[in-house]
Amino acid sequence: MSKNKKAIIKLDHISKTYNEYGTRIKALDTVSLEIYAGDFVSVIGPSGCGKSTLLNCIGLLDRASSGKVYIEGKNTSKSSGKEIAKFRGEKLGFVFQNYNLIPRLTVIENVILPGLIMEKEPNELEKRARTLLEEVDIEHRANHKGIHLSGGEQQKVAIARALINNPVLVLADEPTGALDSENSKEIMKLLVKLNEKRKVTFVLVSHDMDIAKYGKRKIMLKDGRIVKNSTNKLKNIRKN
Amino acid sequence: MGVSSRLALGELKDHKRIYTIIIIVIALTMASFILENAYLNYMVQVVDDTTKIVTSDAIVADPSTNLRDLYGTETELENAGEIARRIEQKLPGYKTTIRVTAQGTYGLDLEGEVADACTIQGIDPAKDDKIAGISDKIVKGRFFDEKDPVLRGHTPLYIEVKGPGNLPDFTYGAGERFLEDEEAYPIIVGDTAVKVHPSIDVGNTFSLTLSVSGEEKSYASVKVRTIGLYRSGTPTLDAMIWFMHADSLREIKRYGEITGKDWVVPGIGTFRGYNPIKVDRDRGDVVLVKAPAPLHQLDPVGHSESVKEEIEGVVPNLKVYSWHDFLVYIAGSMQDVITIMLWGSMVVTLILCAAAIKYVMDSIVMRKTREIGTLKAFGARDRVIFKIFLYQGLVIGFLAGVLGMILSLLVMYLVNMYGVSVEFIVGTQLKIGFLLNWLTILIALLLPVLLAVLAAAMPAKKAAVLPPVEALRKGELSL
Repeated sequence: MSKNKKAIIKLDHISKTYNEYGTRIKALDTVSLEIYAGDFVSVIGPSGCGKSTLLNCIGLLDRASSGKVYIEGKNTSKSSGKEIAKFRGEKLGFVFQNYNLIPRLTVIENVILPGLIMEKEPNELEKRARTLLEEVDIEHRANHKGIHLSGGEQQKVAIARALINNPVLVLADEPTGALDSENSKEIMKLLVKLNEKRKVTFVLVSHDMDIAKYGKRKIMLKDGRIVKNSTNKLKNIRKN
Repeated sequence: MGVSSRLALGELKDHKRIYTIIIIVIALTMASFILENAYLNYMVQVVDDTTKIVTSDAIVADPSTNLRDLYGTETELENAGEIARRIEQKLPGYKTTIRVTAQGTYGLDLEGEVADACTIQGIDPAKDDKIAGISDKIVKGRFFDEKDPVLRGHTPLYIEVKGPGNLPDFTYGAGERFLEDEEAYPIIVGDTAVKVHPSIDVGNTFSLTLSVSGEEKSYASVKVRTIGLYRSGTPTLDAMIWFMHADSLREIKRYGEITGKDWVVPGIGTFRGYNPIKVDRDRGDVVLVKAPAPLHQLDPVGHSESVKEEIEGVVPNLKVYSWHDFLVYIAGSMQDVITIMLWGSMVVTLILCAAAIKYVMDSIVMRKTREIGTLKAFGARDRVIFKIFLYQGLVIGFLAGVLGMILSLLVMYLVNMYGVSVEFIVGTQLKIGFLLNWLTILIALLLPVLLAVLAAAMPAKKAAVLPPVEALRKGELSL
């Protein structure tokens, strides 16, 4: 990656250790990583290799046992809970494997929810949400309850929701894990489109190599360490 | 509307069935609390209107007296005037009045009527009325007037009688029976008594035989004219307790300076007291004390006890009775026991409701961990999550309070509309009524809110401090 670019996320020797039933488990072992604006990073690796832990540390959902996490140059390791919550709300977007829509809320209400949490103006949020829903091609279901949508539709809503606060980075944890292959492809194409056209930066975690191919960059984890950090050669997938 | 309140309302809708049950249970509990309290307030009001007519907040009497004597001690309280002044001086805000009392019998010479008993309270109309409140209970006729001829200028011609056989000697003031032209003393009688004895109704004159001394046996027969009927709220007391001017009773009881010579009636004997008398207004049988109004009516019994203690501190060697002592004497402590039991059951029910709210919210928190994690991922601070659950408690408590208030008002309206009353002593009826005060309303509205908020606070705290990664993981596991 270009040395001239400034990293929006920088992990500096982060480690994460768990204590489980008296045994110390090292989920991440001195991982260093830089993510740049417009990146599309696929994190792959076998089950238990630390993919989700890495994503949680980048997303400030979990604190690293050691090392530093920088977001747009700011060291978050010493930040208070309040500051961390603000970082998450303003700078990051999340897409979960099971979509995590609030079932009793409508699609539009789900999309604007992160904006409301950040105390943004509801009317502005609604306008922006409708634009995003159009972009993810689900605008026609705006007033339906999230629970009445198919898996693929719910994930599209979740993607629109992740973008409502205009984050610098969207973290997607197995975004196609609960979808069939057709829907998986559709979702990945949507992510690629957003990355290409809107320049949304993505970090995607998957155990599926076919899904990982959609990323511009591939990071392979094994036993909590990065064993491979390479640029993806399968450009034709993105072109298609 | 903030995000917490939006989500809280959504949660309430999601769980409306269980929350409705909780709201109804709390509302019913609060309605019974309001009704009980309003009924007690009403009863306190009745007590104000009846026992306080006799005792005000407290009564100071001679040490030889007992509770039975509170209807009318007859026994003179030495230095009554000085005691009254001392209480007012030592206890700022306290008001006193001196009363003269006697036991009466009437109907002895009324054709076709049986003799009946009463207690005469001799009052100072101007001062006493402000302390015990009598004039506003007049239902027929009028209250005492300044122009009323309350003094004869002489006592009822007491004659010393040698007790026949083993009976003790006594004095008997019978003079007025012989003096046809004597004007009658004005008297106010209870309206219940008039129902049984129509001949003592307003405007009628009749003879009253008074027992006027506790220790020394002394009786007097006096002519009285009914100027008014009063109704207090407790029919039994209305039948028994009547009012005369304190100066009238002072004159009858010879509380004053008697000058001149005895009146000798040949063939009958020497009458004492048919002499000019100057009544001494410092003399009387009891001192009634009115304490400053309490800050609240939540604990009237406790207040009466503290008033009693205050007065006892000023007059340690005398008997002091509170209105509650008198109430317990006439009605027993049943009312107190019922009140305590009702309060106890209300507290238990409210605790159960609080436990139910906590249990329901705990289970919601457990089921909603993924949502909580998601919200935290989107930047929701602990405070936002805390408020989601706290607002639910707030709404539950508020709705329960309002519903309880509506239910109780409905019951009060129906009871008032149909005029429910219960059989009281000697065939009289006691009306069931309610008196709702602002404090009861405030408690009935705030208590369920406080309770529900406190019950919700624990699960809310638990939800708020959940680390986001753990909440998301647990949520995934619970799917």
